[in-house]
Amino acid sequence: MDAFFTTIAESVQKNLLAGDAYLTVLGGLWVTVLISALGLGFGTICGALLCSLRMSAIPVLSGVSRLMIAVLRGSPVLLLLMLLYYVVFADNRIDPVIIAVIAYAFNSGAHIAELMRSALEAVDQRQLEAARMLGFSRTKAFLAITLPQAGRIAKPMYQGVIVNTIQWTSVVGYVTITDLTRTVNNIGNRTGDPFFSLFFGMLIYLGLSYLVSVLFSIGEKGSETP
Amino acid sequence: MIVVRGLAKGFGRLEVLKQINTDIRKGECIAVIGPSGSGKSVLLRSLAMLEKPDSGSVFINGVDITGKGVDLNRIREKMGMVYQGFHLFAHLNVLDNITLAPRWIKKLKRSEAEDKAMEILSMVGLVDKARNYPHQLSGGQQQRIAIARCLAMEPDIMLLDEPTSALDPVMTGEVLAIVRKLTKTGLTMLIVTHEMDFAREVADRVFFIDEGVIYEEGPPEAIFDHPQREKTRAFISRLKTFYYEIRSIAFDMVSMNAGIEHFCRKYAVAIQRIYRVQLVLEELIMEVLKQCYPGSQPDISFTVEYVEECDEIFIRLDYRGVEFNPFSRAAGDADDLGMVLVRSSSRQQEHFFKEGNNRINLKL
Repeated sequence: MDAFFTTIAESVQKNLLAGDAYLTVLGGLWVTVLISALGLGFGTICGALLCSLRMSAIPVLSGVSRLMIAVLRGSPVLLLLMLLYYVVFADNRIDPVIIAVIAYAFNSGAHIAELMRSALEAVDQRQLEAARMLGFSRTKAFLAITLPQAGRIAKPMYQGVIVNTIQWTSVVGYVTITDLTRTVNNIGNRTGDPFFSLFFGMLIYLGLSYLVSVLFSIGEKGSETP
Repeated sequence: MIVVRGLAKGFGRLEVLKQINTDIRKGECIAVIGPSGSGKSVLLRSLAMLEKPDSGSVFINGVDITGKGVDLNRIREKMGMVYQGFHLFAHLNVLDNITLAPRWIKKLKRSEAEDKAMEILSMVGLVDKARNYPHQLSGGQQQRIAIARCLAMEPDIMLLDEPTSALDPVMTGEVLAIVRKLTKTGLTMLIVTHEMDFAREVADRVFFIDEGVIYEEGPPEAIFDHPQREKTRAFISRLKTFYYEIRSIAFDMVSMNAGIEHFCRKYAVAIQRIYRVQLVLEELIMEVLKQCYPGSQPDISFTVEYVEECDEIFIRLDYRGVEFNPFSRAAGDADDLGMVLVRSSSRQQEHFFKEGNNRINLKL
């Protein structure tokens, strides 16, 4: 047992403490969180926009939006990222982190657009009519009835998109960004003990997912509506 | 209060309402009856512009609400609509369901709206459910909350679209008790209903809708006891009889018997007597099927009628084809147990044959 702890202590010393490696890890974590948060933030705006186009009564708009959603959802985000980095922004060297934010905003936006649409369509239209009969305008009925109900339906799906997006940011190393995955990989290469550093990286991603689910369960208790 | 002129509404090629004209005075309670699919609901929905009429006008307090530039939200504030399926707001508790519109539309303060809501809740007898969610309530309770939700907006007009069709008899009673209270408050009400006894009790006027028009209208006594026109008569008499047709050897006897039982229960006929009606019909039909339609498609129909005044059940059985009198054989023929049962269960049997049609009249 002692030997086991000694090994762990050695690994921690070698991988995390020596040369202040933990600061590098924190830096990588910051980049991962930054790309995820900004990507999802803009992705949500993007998703709302795509969703409203998708549900528009004008066939051209809904058609274009439908195509965009299909392409973005049906292709790997890594290819979109590389396309943006090596082709679209090949000539003007802007910060690759910004490029990554754009890529993840588009990708998560497409998923969010679809989850918004399915949530909105799941709301009982007859309750909406009941609200209109009480004197609610279209907009007020949307705000008072549709939005809260659709929000409830969308919540678990939205949580899924967030966790997925955080994990998919692990590929940004392909476009020279030093994120959490890249950092722990580098440390493993340097120390020749990849198991410890990679496993440690996994634990941090797990912690992020757990944090998200904790955030989502705030206010969950007490409200027992379907 | 409500004036309807030349209202027409169709869906695709189907003309549901052709020409509706009527004047409804303030405080009147109108029961709207008619066969299913005759457009009763469409008429009600048109009065609130939930269905946009193809032509014609609806005036509410002198304003033509089919016209352009009418603020329908304003008009609807003063109209309550109660649905068959309640349609309460699923994400809100009872109190919030009732106070939502007063707070959003009338801009009442939460405390004011809630005080008012509690008053209405005590009127519908559900004060203790204020903090419950709709899915925790029975259908009857949900419908009473739906009515309370309308009342919170202090409407002038209430439209009730089959408010008890989705409810069992006990819950129907709960809801009708509330509706009965409302009729005494001077609200103008239209109720689409299949509860004919209730319609007779509370309605000032009854509209019978058929063929896309108000086919016949009048005070309940006139419509229910002395209908003038053919289709009204047929509809009203159908209400008092049970009618069934048999067009196949493999007819659905379970549903037939369920129908007979349901009909008889409405008149509180004792269960033993219901069984006897079912038995007599089963035996007769089997006998007729065997004797008259070997290998051919049957054409049998019957009606069951209960006459309250003399507490008698009348059965009339018609079948087309060759003349056949199941009672013609000698009484006491032991081979013919079925007919013995029929004979011993009924008090009077008659058989006629006229122009290819056999008719049997039985009295139980």
